[in-house]
Amino acid sequence: MASFMLPPVVSYACSCGLINPITKLYFCRHCLQLRCGFCVCHEVDSHFCSSCLENIPSSEAKLKKNRCNNCFNCPSCQHTLSARATTVVVPKKVDDPEKGDGDDKEKDKVITRKMYYLSCLACRWTTRDVGIPDQTVASGAWPECEYANQTRLNAIMEYYQSVVLQEKQEKQDLWKRKTPKKHKYFSLTDRTGLTVSMIRRQMGWADKAPPKPKAITPSEASEEVDELPESIFTEPVNLKNITTIKQRHSQPADQPETVDNLFPQRKSLWIKRSLRCRQCEHNIIKPEYHPTSIKYRIQLFASYHVPEVRLVKCEQPLKAGVANFVILNFANPTMHDMVVKIIELPSEDEEALLIEEFRRGFEKQTSLTSTPSLTSALSRQTSLNEEPRFVDKRTTAKLEYPNVPFTVNHRDDSAEFDEDTQIQQEEPPFVIWRKSNKVSVKLGFTPDPDLASNDEVVVGFSMQYNYVNTVINTADRSEPQKHTLHARVYVKVGNITSESA
Amino acid sequence: MEILDTYYSRDEYVETASGNKVSRQTVLCGSQNIVLNGKVIVQSGAIIRGDLANVRTGRYCIISKGAVIRPPFKQFSKGVAFFPLHIGDHVFVGEGAIVSAASVGSYVYIGKNAVIGRRCVLKDCCIIEDGAILPPETTVASFMRYTAAGTIEGGQGNPDHVPPAMQDQMVDFTKSFYEHFRSNA
Repeated sequence: MASFMLPPVVSYACSCGLINPITKLYFCRHCLQLRCGFCVCHEVDSHFCSSCLENIPSSEAKLKKNRCNNCFNCPSCQHTLSARATTVVVPKKVDDPEKGDGDDKEKDKVITRKMYYLSCLACRWTTRDVGIPDQTVASGAWPECEYANQTRLNAIMEYYQSVVLQEKQEKQDLWKRKTPKKHKYFSLTDRTGLTVSMIRRQMGWADKAPPKPKAITPSEASEEVDELPESIFTEPVNLKNITTIKQRHSQPADQPETVDNLFPQRKSLWIKRSLRCRQCEHNIIKPEYHPTSIKYRIQLFASYHVPEVRLVKCEQPLKAGVANFVILNFANPTMHDMVVKIIELPSEDEEALLIEEFRRGFEKQTSLTSTPSLTSALSRQTSLNEEPRFVDKRTTAKLEYPNVPFTVNHRDDSAEFDEDTQIQQEEPPFVIWRKSNKVSVKLGFTPDPDLASNDEVVVGFSMQYNYVNTVINTADRSEPQKHTLHARVYVKVGNITSESA
Repeated sequence: MEILDTYYSRDEYVETASGNKVSRQTVLCGSQNIVLNGKVIVQSGAIIRGDLANVRTGRYCIISKGAVIRPPFKQFSKGVAFFPLHIGDHVFVGEGAIVSAASVGSYVYIGKNAVIGRRCVLKDCCIIEDGAILPPETTVASFMRYTAAGTIEGGQGNPDHVPPAMQDQMVDFTKSFYEHFRSNA
């Protein structure tokens, strides 16, 4: 089974302190930090329908209330409905009834026409069940349901939209009055105190103010509730005709109580997201617009920049307090050779320093972007920063840190077609296998003696690696920059074997 | 977790020049209509119904034990017609899965005992969970996950359902599966 379908064995600590497998982590090339799903801003990139795979522009998606134009969900089981074609026999209209008196052949002539209805292939619900007439075209043209409260809700929405507009205008006016524009040259209105609106009023023209919101009649609550119908006490309940909670919620506008009021619901749209680093606001992921494309325009996955650690195996069954060996595989995904060194995890004080640094990074960013103008603050989503924390994973074994660096060769896609040419080189004793960009190392560890049977054995280490940054941040640096980075890695080696085994 | 070596007996599997490894304990009907594009593993007990229509798979596909690959049919007013089934590269079909899709894209993961109804369309980089049942004519878009409960979730850029680097994950998984699938002789 593929590793992404299994509970993670090797996890990395994100810069915020959360533990994630490498498949869920990103690497910001500008901050040189690991980022998890909480350390990035999620932005809607494009809308699409997952059924017809059509790209829908965001303005249209808003207009259509995030629903697809031509795909429907089954109101009964929420699966996609598909159009079925049937042929119906329609008697041919005789153009001239008087003329064709004599020949009966003409009268009996019928034509077959293709008619379409929607059918759910999961639960066998069809539009015919609720009496929706068949359509002559396969897609579109399905009748739109009218709901009782629709006009009222539309009126309320319109009203509040105009209220918002008015408030915005008032705020802007206030802002203008508080900070009068300093022009290089004085105008007549500045000296006389005359404003455009005053002149307009003197001339008898209408003021340019936005239209006042049309008043709506407020709803009134009443204590009087209709009596229950007589039938509810006399007739037996047939649960087959009553809708389920799920069915009602999928049709929120009218929430039908009986199954004969279920109507096809337009399919909700899906989005593609682009992710942005919260500290430097650079894009980390940006997918292609096209719904069927699986490509990215920007893809800064951690698995492209950080050496991937994999657990190969443990030498012996795990026993509490008994020394053991673990074989780990390191893979270098970059185009540059890496020097990796396995060192001890940061102590509590050092971790507190890391957290402090993470906080400072945000403060720097907020001081840079916080400008007094209102518009810039409103245009972009205010990013909620993930609170940094201590890593919530306890290591339950003592690892012997080799403290000797070893080289992991760069990735070479053509290497798999080459013949094996093993270049003998001076290897540290714990490196046991090496092929193209992969290195296996054997490390000794001792599970804690106080572990009970079936307890998880977790080893942790800090991986120091050198990273070549190919992004040139400033103009004067034309050479790729080399950095020494650290990643905190936690490996679930296995469980303590039970005594009986 | 690194994939561990799995060994097969030399007598059971046939290895073709293009690197396909096909078990003898399979039912390959209409083998002239089955194209395996190289480095494909077909494990014992699998059934591929090439007699119904053409079946074509890309490179590095894994068809696990007891899986059934069966071209879809469509009912017309005058009988039924079968349609060819195309499977992309780096596709994993789990044990006991039944695939009757119209097309399966590349880098698709189909869990064990999943049932893909007839004329479904699975786009690139999607996941079908173990035991999921897809009703006929379902479309699963890229980076979507079809759950065993029958819902679709995910979307490109959403890190929680399908890994954002699904393509690389599947390439890596199917390649290392092939490399670790060794004969015991």
